[in-house]
Amino acid sequence: MYTLSEQQIDFILLDIKNRGVEMEDLQLNLLDHICCILESECKPEDNFELFYQQTISRFFRKELKEIEEETLLLLTFKNYYAMKKTMLVSGTTAVIFLMAGSLFKLMHWPGAGAMLVLGVFLLSLIFLPLLFLTKSKEAPTSQHKVVLGLGALVGILYCLSTLFKVMHWPGASILWFSTVGLSAIAFIPLYFFTGIKNPDTKTTTIVTSILLVGATSILFMLLNVRPPKKELQLKMYNYLQSEAVLTRMHASHTSAAATSNENTKMLDEINLLCTQLKTLIVENAIGEKTIPVDFEAKNILIEDGGLGNNFYDDGKGAKLMAQLKEAIVKYNAQSSTPLPQKNSVLDSDFGNIANYNVYTVLNSLTQMQLFVATVNS
Amino acid sequence: MHNILMYICPMYSSELIKGTLKTIVLKLLSDNKKMYGYEITQKVKELTGDKIQITEGALYPTLHALEDEGIVTTEVMNIGKRVRKYYTLTKKGKTTSKEKVSEFADYLNTMKFLLDIKPQLG
Repeated sequence: MYTLSEQQIDFILLDIKNRGVEMEDLQLNLLDHICCILESECKPEDNFELFYQQTISRFFRKELKEIEEETLLLLTFKNYYAMKKTMLVSGTTAVIFLMAGSLFKLMHWPGAGAMLVLGVFLLSLIFLPLLFLTKSKEAPTSQHKVVLGLGALVGILYCLSTLFKVMHWPGASILWFSTVGLSAIAFIPLYFFTGIKNPDTKTTTIVTSILLVGATSILFMLLNVRPPKKELQLKMYNYLQSEAVLTRMHASHTSAAATSNENTKMLDEINLLCTQLKTLIVENAIGEKTIPVDFEAKNILIEDGGLGNNFYDDGKGAKLMAQLKEAIVKYNAQSSTPLPQKNSVLDSDFGNIANYNVYTVLNSLTQMQLFVATVNS
Repeated sequence: MHNILMYICPMYSSELIKGTLKTIVLKLLSDNKKMYGYEITQKVKELTGDKIQITEGALYPTLHALEDEGIVTTEVMNIGKRVRKYYTLTKKGKTTSKEKVSEFADYLNTMKFLLDIKPQLG
């Protein structure tokens, strides 16, 4: 039996590394294997290096790295099936959640929000990335891979921006712009020029590109049909003016001797509930309890969107609103100067408050407070 | 792309044995408790009278994949300056081994029938 010296073992290990085998496990396996062969087949009079080179060449066709590549291929091949399965399951679940969520939202049944959020997250953060990973394995060139990656990214952004918009989360507009921008500037052009080069995919590429451009333009239209900034500013100033009137009326009040009776107590409660509701709405919209004095400098503009999540179902806003309506009904039942509940969002004829937009509700609440102030004086 | 089974097999074409390496390795491990790579190649050579020789390029990727799937576990032993990795079947591996062998036996019977091979006597 041939005995290998430590230097010879080091030499073999170094050679294995130099031939491009990077996995340590595999390096050690190969080292031991070669040593075993040398120990049993090499004779003391043989030239070690020559014998080694002959032995190692039996391990591969072109280069030793093949073994590592084969190993990695086998390892990912196994994951490939698990990935495909997860992709299909998450995709199907996401679609079911989205459809059920949409139906629930339409019917104002509880749980719609949770289903939509879950559906979009499954679709955008699990399904789409997995779709990209599995598809990119089949991509012939790295350019195709980039196109697939961009496509997946645009898809993810599109899902998230729609979700942010529906849920009135901050940052929705930025996401919208990024989606449309990335799609128009990077994704579609790259997709078009990658696909058009291949005669087999030429027609499909053109048709799909037209569809993509069409869809992106419609998205852009959606962006533009939002009220222009000036109108939104007017709505905000309008509300702030009413607020200013209210503040003045309150200021003149406190000087008058407050006659503390049952009526005043009820009116105070109504007033307080209105303030709490407004605070909540403003907080949902801009993340602060009140509109700061220097809102123009800070570039704060309240969007005329929905009131926020807590105005649905059993949310804090919905509860406060119910309390307010009840308090007004109670007050009106015993007062000679009833508060005008009709023809505002406080009128139960107008249904769920969550259906109305921010400024309509804010103005209704301030008007109610103004009435309270006049009655109180 | 798939050259998983680059057997050097003087007797059989590589297509013929394609897909059996896993079965061979699992069966050997179930009969011999723990083995290392070189030992496996030598054992196959010995048992088949040199008719089947497993190449290193096919064996190690398969062993690594089996380890990843939890079919075999490994145990490292120091042999002087180098280390040797011994492979053992896990509980799951024992079941897989039996399944693979019986699947192959079934396949052989079917092929015998399909190709109308008369059993060779003597």
